[in-house]
Amino acid sequence: MNNQVMEYASGNEMAAIAIKQIGYDLMGYYPITPSTQIAENLDVMRANGETDMVMVAAEGEHSAAGICYGAAVAGGRVVNATSANGLLYAIEQFPVQSGTRFPMVMNVVCRTVSGPLSIKGDHSDIMYLLNSGWPILFATTVQQVYDFNIIALKLAEKVRLPVVVAYDGFFTSHQKSRCYRFDRDEEVRAYIGPKVEEYPFLDLEHPITVGSYMNEPDLINNRYQLHLAMEQVDEVLPEIFEEYEKISGRKYSKVEGFGCEEAEDILVLLGSSYDTALEAIDELRASGEKVGVATVNVLRPFPAKELVELIGNAKNIVVADRQDSYGAGGGNLSLEVRATLQRYSKNVNVKSLVYGLGGKDFFKEDVGKMLQLARNKGAFDFEYYGVTKGSLKKQDEPLFDPVTREKTKIGATKVDEEGKVVGANLNQVTAMPGRIAPGHGACPGCGIPVNLNLLLKGIEDPVVFLFQTGCAMIVTTAYPRTSFKVPYVHNLFQNGAATLSGIAEVCYRKQQKGEIPPGDIVFVMVSGDGGMDIGMGSALGTALRGHRLLIFEYDNGGYMNTGYQLSYSTPLGARSSTSHVGKNQYGKIFFHKDMPKLMAATGIPYVATVAESNPVDFIKKAAKAAHYAKTTGTAYVKAISACPLNWNDKPATERKVIEAAVNSCYFPLYEIEQGETILSYDPEKMGKKIPVVDWLSMMGRTKHLVKEEYREVVERMQQEIDIRFYELKRKSEKGV
Amino acid sequence: MVTDKKRSLFEKLELGKDYYEIRLESIGGLGANLCGKMLGELGLKFLDLNSTSFSSYGSEKTGTPVKGFIRYCKSEKEIRVHYPVVEPDLLVIFHQALLKDETVWKGCNKDTTVIVAVEDGQDEEMSKKLSAIIREHNLEAVYTIKAQKIAMETHSRINVVMLGAALKIMGLEDVSEGEKICEDTLGKKYPEALKNNIEGIRRGFTELEVLSCTEEDGNNIEKSGNTQDPKNHKENRKNGNPQWGYDNAPIGGINPRFGSTVIADLSPSRQGYIPLFIKDRCINCGLCHTACPDMVFQFAKGEYKGKEMMVNQGLDYYHCKGCLRCVDVCPVNALVRGVEAEHPVKEFFLPNQELIRTPDYYEESGPDGYITSESYLTEKRMEGGEV
Repeated sequence: MNNQVMEYASGNEMAAIAIKQIGYDLMGYYPITPSTQIAENLDVMRANGETDMVMVAAEGEHSAAGICYGAAVAGGRVVNATSANGLLYAIEQFPVQSGTRFPMVMNVVCRTVSGPLSIKGDHSDIMYLLNSGWPILFATTVQQVYDFNIIALKLAEKVRLPVVVAYDGFFTSHQKSRCYRFDRDEEVRAYIGPKVEEYPFLDLEHPITVGSYMNEPDLINNRYQLHLAMEQVDEVLPEIFEEYEKISGRKYSKVEGFGCEEAEDILVLLGSSYDTALEAIDELRASGEKVGVATVNVLRPFPAKELVELIGNAKNIVVADRQDSYGAGGGNLSLEVRATLQRYSKNVNVKSLVYGLGGKDFFKEDVGKMLQLARNKGAFDFEYYGVTKGSLKKQDEPLFDPVTREKTKIGATKVDEEGKVVGANLNQVTAMPGRIAPGHGACPGCGIPVNLNLLLKGIEDPVVFLFQTGCAMIVTTAYPRTSFKVPYVHNLFQNGAATLSGIAEVCYRKQQKGEIPPGDIVFVMVSGDGGMDIGMGSALGTALRGHRLLIFEYDNGGYMNTGYQLSYSTPLGARSSTSHVGKNQYGKIFFHKDMPKLMAATGIPYVATVAESNPVDFIKKAAKAAHYAKTTGTAYVKAISACPLNWNDKPATERKVIEAAVNSCYFPLYEIEQGETILSYDPEKMGKKIPVVDWLSMMGRTKHLVKEEYREVVERMQQEIDIRFYELKRKSEKGV
Repeated sequence: MVTDKKRSLFEKLELGKDYYEIRLESIGGLGANLCGKMLGELGLKFLDLNSTSFSSYGSEKTGTPVKGFIRYCKSEKEIRVHYPVVEPDLLVIFHQALLKDETVWKGCNKDTTVIVAVEDGQDEEMSKKLSAIIREHNLEAVYTIKAQKIAMETHSRINVVMLGAALKIMGLEDVSEGEKICEDTLGKKYPEALKNNIEGIRRGFTELEVLSCTEEDGNNIEKSGNTQDPKNHKENRKNGNPQWGYDNAPIGGINPRFGSTVIADLSPSRQGYIPLFIKDRCINCGLCHTACPDMVFQFAKGEYKGKEMMVNQGLDYYHCKGCLRCVDVCPVNALVRGVEAEHPVKEFFLPNQELIRTPDYYEESGPDGYITSESYLTEKRMEGGEV
């Protein structure tokens, strides 16, 4: 077809291209691996003026889904992209949107949801959407990602339902391959057609109410309408596919198979594994085996009729799922296939397999092995494929002695009777035993371990850690190793603080009941990489409840663990992979968040900011925060934390960059103790205050701001910094 | 230098091989991801082939291992397989520190051509090291390239030098396709960077050297069946590092091996420099201890100038990533930057003093090293940034 051009691109890139070509009004999103690149690519296009779509980086997926819903209600063309935990976090929005019938498209780049955190690809997230009322198209190739994105919007607007385009995380989202796109955006737009709103929300002449309060006897009728809409999807999809074939030359159907007509044994798979299996089946057939492979391109509505026509006459079927519906005897695809065969009274020997969890690779050889299992009558009905028994005979001997209460009482830093911290001599505090072992995988020069070590030097009581998701947890706990020598738990971005509340409360109760030994324990939550964006609500809630614990934030100014997307504490104007610099964009467009002020507003007894450039001050504040966390209530300490990789500066000289952040008053050092603000270090008084642009010029992410064309941005930033700093200074001088 | 035509990309595909496969073995920060993308795109756009490329995935950290995979096939064929390259036709190793990592050599055999980036000025030592590896893996074609040196001289980056070297082995006649892909990738925005990178590619292409084994080394090439089999490799790894599985791992992913990352040897993360400790100058102020992200400094109770205090005993080089933060903060120049190659024996090398038994150290550059996101990094690369 000469209306198309060839691209060498990944699934995420092709999704972004389709989104740009469609000409959406708005994208509401929150970065989560592996879907993030879609927004990143679109942000580049925005910066370069290729699209004027409104892009809203929410503070979490729940809000992103809300932004999208609002935009859809208002009659906009709307798109979202997410994965895994993010999808689950937003899940309550999805039935609302399908039930109130506002079309949009959401790309779900499939990834594991699990307890021990995995970021790799499987189908455990997408299956949570089976009951959401959203039609789900599943793309197996990069080409399909592009095509289905275009088809999805046409379908969505036709049946007035939101539609998901799902594809495999990494296997499809990140692998680059040959594919084609329409040369002209107009062709894509002509195929989709104009948007028709049956009930325009913003028509003030004809006001409507969206989202009634509805129980029996009405709700069942609303649900029935949704059911009918799904049936309509089933009906109209073939026409939509056909129309698409006319303009693209690519033919799609609800189900797809190879060799199924003559096959005795058929493997049924979802996603990129189907693509891999095609090649294997080709070889097996060439060697005379009567085998085939099938997949569904549409997961909802489930194409039962078409599937049974394709595979219903086989003798043996094995359905392999990249997820498990625990306790149901198979993954969801296999359950659907079994139900389908039963519905059409097909007497076929069916087996269910679970394979490839957490992104475990699927090789060509696996196809033959799975089919072999299918033929093996009666041997099993449901099995895990590819598990390892383990070869470790006995537990290895410990490498360290436990870090006991006595060992950490080094007596170097103390809170005296008046509540003043004494000590923190940098020589003496080197005696503090390590609660975190070396061998972690942080980048050379990373500020996170530096800040954690400084914090821990000041805490002479036992420590229990909770880390939110982020670089700090990824680099310390890659299984089967861990850097922690003290109790540690990871929990989600959204509710880490809440989780630690639960831990602390049970500890205090157990101590009271005498079930565990008495004595002070400092509970420390570690947050960073934007954890105080999505997790702010939970942190504020914890502070308002006043649990006795310490919240420590390493503020590296971005979501560094996922490749540096902007966080709300990224400096104004800074470049990130969701705030590119181009002719239409100067970097991040809003100010860095003043998190200490927000925490102080909850009335907690202790709030402090610390920086490695002032190590004694840092350690003293750690000791004081620990003191309050033990005795009084929630303490919050925030450190500015260097990220040489994404700040794009030299690892060796990070301390100087941190010092400049402090001296420019971008990151003033102060504490708010029992409501009283005290400036710990006044660069002005010391004659060290520098303009913020001097700090910005030290980092690759912000050095473009030095240019004359960005002077206005820098001036605005300087003004904001001054407002914040002089407010602190006034309070400090007045003793309030 | 003449390369073996039988090993070229075109010849192998002509002889009926489905795919010509390349595996890049690198360390985060050297630009292997971009190199893989350029190689893949070049096949599709300029060699009339079909191709795919991808990297190992996850959270990219400087200094952690990254693998890149490229597959080529004839244009009419669709590439449907999505798994990593297991038995590479061409293995490209971006950093000689990786030679020690056995996963780098997985699936290599006599049909594999290997390119290794080597440092300048240690030819003899390197050829000895490589000869042993050649024997172990039954390799027949190994080439070296002084990638770091060329990159520095041309103001380009290691990834383009390695790209040039790979093009040579693939059997291309010159670097014209390499130039074209470089232009495509870098665009016209940075003419100076483009010129430098093209020069890097050209020199990678022309300065590739066949590894010369000593006669003794050459005679010792044994047919070792074991090492070709990836399974056996895994087995070896398991023996050295017994695995947890469903039968014996604590439930829930719980990990009772507290502090166990200590067994990782992070020396491959270093980029050629280490801090050197001049003990006589040290005033035991403890600033290095506050600045080191890797818990390298070993202080213990002792005496300094007649006073009892904590005294800096030495450095745990197993965990030093060479960031040199300590050198920057040391107020008395007791810590200075040194070229690691000039210090094969490190003075004041003191492993972590809290260990209660000597662990087996494993050559590793950190946890999983991967790529999740690239737009920001790519941009930095284009501008000639650090990464």
